[in-house]
Amino acid sequence: MSLRVAIAVLLLAAASAYGQAPLRTPTLLTPAPIDLSGVWTPYRGGRGADPSLNPPPPGPIVLKPQYAKPYEDRRAAEDAAVKRGEPLATAAVSCVPYGMPRMMAVALYPMEVIQTPRQITIITEAFSEVRRVFLNQPQLPIDEVPPGYYGHSVGRWDGDTLVVDTVGIKESVLSYQMLPHSSQMRITERIRLRTPDMLHDQITIDDPVVLEKPIVYTLAYRRMPNYKMVEFVCENNREYVDEKGAVRMRVREK
Amino acid sequence: MARTLRPSARRLAALVLCLTAVAPAAAHHSFAMFDTAKRVTLVGTVTAFEWTNPHVYIELDVPGEKGAVKHWSVELGSPSILMQAGWKFSDVKVGDALTAVINPLRNGEAGGLLTQVTLKDGRVLGNGPGRGGAQ
Repeated sequence: MSLRVAIAVLLLAAASAYGQAPLRTPTLLTPAPIDLSGVWTPYRGGRGADPSLNPPPPGPIVLKPQYAKPYEDRRAAEDAAVKRGEPLATAAVSCVPYGMPRMMAVALYPMEVIQTPRQITIITEAFSEVRRVFLNQPQLPIDEVPPGYYGHSVGRWDGDTLVVDTVGIKESVLSYQMLPHSSQMRITERIRLRTPDMLHDQITIDDPVVLEKPIVYTLAYRRMPNYKMVEFVCENNREYVDEKGAVRMRVREK
Repeated sequence: MARTLRPSARRLAALVLCLTAVAPAAAHHSFAMFDTAKRVTLVGTVTAFEWTNPHVYIELDVPGEKGAVKHWSVELGSPSILMQAGWKFSDVKVGDALTAVINPLRNGEAGGLLTQVTLKDGRVLGNGPGRGGAQ
């Protein structure tokens, strides 16, 4: 067999194999009961709002004693610094993203939900943060998830409610209300449409190392039907931290 | 080993922080460096308008009483937040004359947080919905 023929045979075999490449094994996907896709913005109620759509008030924060005092001291120091007009630095001042769970409520920044049969993707506008919720998959053991800002999230439908389980949040990523947390933190979300244009996300944070009992709070969002998400690249951050740890704004000479 | 706290220790451990009706949102930075009790009105000429994140900035040359020009840096919200309040990236151009009302920096430097601006065409814009600034 000449070299030319051999190459032709190989190419034909490769093309044939490519053509017959097995498709992804079809799986039976449970149809999603609702579609959460769309752009949502934090809902704060206000004048004329229907009070029955407001989320329930957040539950108490109860820390283990060894974490309570340092946290209380830090909050007191922050309050005092604010009163002096010299607020203390946070990671966000340096354009470091919020991560979970704080990214779910950043001022009035919208978030986009993209729902597909196997995955729900949540993109928040502030800092362009992205979460991926893998549907109908078992959660990984915490120790097998590389610690990160968004961890590993799996979701399943419980009736009309999407239940999302998240683990693997890096300990340096502060939790709700700037709380500390351990590697054992688990975040459970129950996300549902309160009305066709109102989304509620009940968030439960459990951390057997840091918390005496789980923290439960609910975020509300209203739909923004025609909103186009805008980019957010933190390119012009003029806030800086001075030698005392206070946040300052850099002014220009001209 | 699980440790059971005495009731008194439990009381000490309890930090009941959330008495607000709504779970608080995160913020990029506190605005405490600005003196929100003070308002300074700047009438000047734009030397730069930076439509950027995390904040938009207006750089302004403001003539003084004796002809000396003082330069001010004015912080606004982010593009996203400003757009929700009716702003466009092209609303301000270098050379525009405008009037900005700001909360000045507490440290006395020539900078501040915008509360309201009157543009060249007479439109009056704020600094985003429900806030003094972005994030």
